[in-house]
Amino acid sequence: MLGKLNKGEKCKIIDISRIDLLVRRRLLDLGITEGTEVCIKCYMPFGGPIMVESCGQCIGIRRVEAVQIEVERL
Amino acid sequence: MDIALIGNPNTGKTSLFNNLTGSYEYVGNWSGVTVEKKVGQFKNKKDKLIDLPGIYSLTPLSKDEGVVTQFLLSENVDKMINILDASQLERNLHLTIQLLEYGKPVVIGLNMMDVALKRGFQIEPNQLSNQIGIPLKPVIARTGKGCDMLAEAVTSERLPEPNARIVDYGKDIEEAILRFEKLFDNKPNQSTRWLALQMFEGNQYVIKYLENYIESEQLNQFLLEIKDAIKKSAGTSIDQFIFRKRKETINQIMTDAYIKREQIITPLSEKIDAIVTNKILGLPIFFLLMYLMFMLTFDWLGFPLSDLLDGFITGPLSQTIENLLQAAGASAFIHSLILDGIVAGVGGVLVFVPQIFILFFFISLLEDSGYMARVALVMDRLMEAVGLNGKAFIPMMIGFGCNVPGIMAARTIETPKERLLTILLTPLMSCSARLPVYALFVGAFFVQQKAFIVLSLYILGIAVALILAKLFSSTILKGETSFFVIELPPYRLPQFQALWRSTWDKGKGFVKKAGTFIFAGSVFIWLLSYIGPGGMDVALDDSYLAAIGGFIAPLFEPIGFNTWQAGASLITGFLAKEAIISTMNIIYFVPDEASLQGLLSDYFTPLAGYSFMVFILLYIPCLATVATIYKETGSKKWTAFSMVYALIAAYLLALIIYQGGKLLGFM
Ligand SMILES: Nc1nc2c(ncn2[C@@H]2O[C@H](COP(=O)(O)OP(=O)(O)OP(=O)(O)O)[C@@H](O)[C@H]2O)c(=O)[nH]1
Ligand SMILES: [Mg+2]
Repeated sequence: MLGKLNKGEKCKIIDISRIDLLVRRRLLDLGITEGTEVCIKCYMPFGGPIMVESCGQCIGIRRVEAVQIEVERL
Repeated sequence: MDIALIGNPNTGKTSLFNNLTGSYEYVGNWSGVTVEKKVGQFKNKKDKLIDLPGIYSLTPLSKDEGVVTQFLLSENVDKMINILDASQLERNLHLTIQLLEYGKPVVIGLNMMDVALKRGFQIEPNQLSNQIGIPLKPVIARTGKGCDMLAEAVTSERLPEPNARIVDYGKDIEEAILRFEKLFDNKPNQSTRWLALQMFEGNQYVIKYLENYIESEQLNQFLLEIKDAIKKSAGTSIDQFIFRKRKETINQIMTDAYIKREQIITPLSEKIDAIVTNKILGLPIFFLLMYLMFMLTFDWLGFPLSDLLDGFITGPLSQTIENLLQAAGASAFIHSLILDGIVAGVGGVLVFVPQIFILFFFISLLEDSGYMARVALVMDRLMEAVGLNGKAFIPMMIGFGCNVPGIMAARTIETPKERLLTILLTPLMSCSARLPVYALFVGAFFVQQKAFIVLSLYILGIAVALILAKLFSSTILKGETSFFVIELPPYRLPQFQALWRSTWDKGKGFVKKAGTFIFAGSVFIWLLSYIGPGGMDVALDDSYLAAIGGFIAPLFEPIGFNTWQAGASLITGFLAKEAIISTMNIIYFVPDEASLQGLLSDYFTPLAGYSFMVFILLYIPCLATVATIYKETGSKKWTAFSMVYALIAAYLLALIIYQGGKLLGFM
């Protein structure tokens, strides 16, 4: 799961179908979907959002959503 | 000719717009700066250019995105400029495909070429243009490079028909589109292919629009059938299916246009991010920056400058005006009107121009550097705890400058409940117009701790907003899931010229208001203080102003300022917060700020002074803000609510502070 990886690790997304429809739409808008490679940039404290990078673009998402994204380590 | 500018958020549309029309609209480095349609004129004086909010797709999620879809459905466009961010081509092309399907001639402006180069992309514009089948011009909107060529291409050339069939969606969908065309008796203006595809994707704006032409039952039936068909044949939902087909086409375009990425260079941006969004340092850094900005504005730089200006206005300037009036033989009435009314009222506000410009400079710096979106990220956890999301912090930060654009900025918040909550609470942010009031009072009562006292007011405003957010979101605005996905733009070193223009543009409003609204208000207030039931030139205490102010003054007895002067200035403060200063200057009838401060201590104790400042901070959004709240919520009920809750909160808090302070033995 994204959200369980360590800072700096790279991974490839294999399934985003479990997350909320609106969030999924927004992620699609930002070019994040099955097959995208992402890199964990940082975690905010107290269970705050996480920042990931894909294709040179950084985005922030909440941890509840991140743990619903299935990934494989690269 | 009407030419629309369309593109993903934060790709430089407004920068280009400003460049091509010579206007100055709001530019900033985060997604969602432009939230409404702006019209300008090309330099050739014939064609109109229309700047729109940024969108990722024509199927909108938030209100600002909806503006674009609505625009394409209801207004006439002759041509379009599609701005692409060259460093994010793949993602941007999804929108381009939808624009091609819309069917109007499109020219592509390939922006951010400098960024793409730095990131190691190699793009051959001609190849790309050939692959997409429409003209394409590389530009750097920030510096203006290539903009003229783009303008020429779009205004003069006869543009080729766009290839609306650039994506082949397969048998099921293509046939459904053909069947869809037969459903119409009289056809709408838009391309039916585009309408059909948007409807399949679930675009609510389009579906609503189509209901003008087709029975909604028939429409639903039709939609269900095609959704089922795709589910059966491809095993996914139709919107995902469409997305995939477009992606295939885009991948093809990218390979055929030989777009390559050479060795990837870690941008400076990521190094900065490692610090400012650091797990431990993130919040402290944010507070430190806020503190620096505040101290510079208020204490270290702004205060001495304002003092200098005050010295000039009340000294040489007033003296010169007085001499001129004497030489012209002006009557006592005119003399008093100009010096006691206008100079006192308008001058009293203009004194604060340096501080306000410094504040706006820092806000512009925050906006243009790319830090704004990071603040949203850093604050999200806290905001989530009170029923909002991190994005709500952006309107609030803008609100420190002026509440009106702050409230507008709430359009980018996707969930209606969180957006409404943000609109209601942004007025609690201490805007620049409230600053003069604090300056006056801390000068009179808290000279030693002036910065600390003012800072406490700013923080109080945020604290009250957060507490009320929690309160409202767990009572009257319950339900609905919260939502937070944010794009973090790369940092950009702000250019001095852009910064200055942006500061000037914001500050201009303040100066202009002083010259018009406050000017007229000062004349009016002075008149009310000059005449009374007993005739003209009455003693101040017998004037109409005293009667009006005195009428509501007893209400303020429990919170420490039962004087008609306070009552009168609170009433004018509803029109504009700066008017409080003008009114006080006029009624206390003193030549300069220093003596006004001396006089104030006859009417207020320090504790009452603080209570008064707290009351001013919260008591009501100003007239312009109320109008904006009404426009943005479209509801009289919520507009009234925004005023009433503020009044109650202000009164309660001032009461606690004043009575509590008295109990504790403060004066
Ligand atoms: N390096 C670089 N920066 C640019 C260029 N064009 C625009 N920018 C910067 O990109 C940021 C976004 O510019 P805007 O013009 O506000 O973008 P927009 O597309 O109108 O954004 P929204 O209104 O939010 O959709 C600003 O900080 C600009 O200074 C460019 O060609 N190169
Ligand atoms: Mg814009």
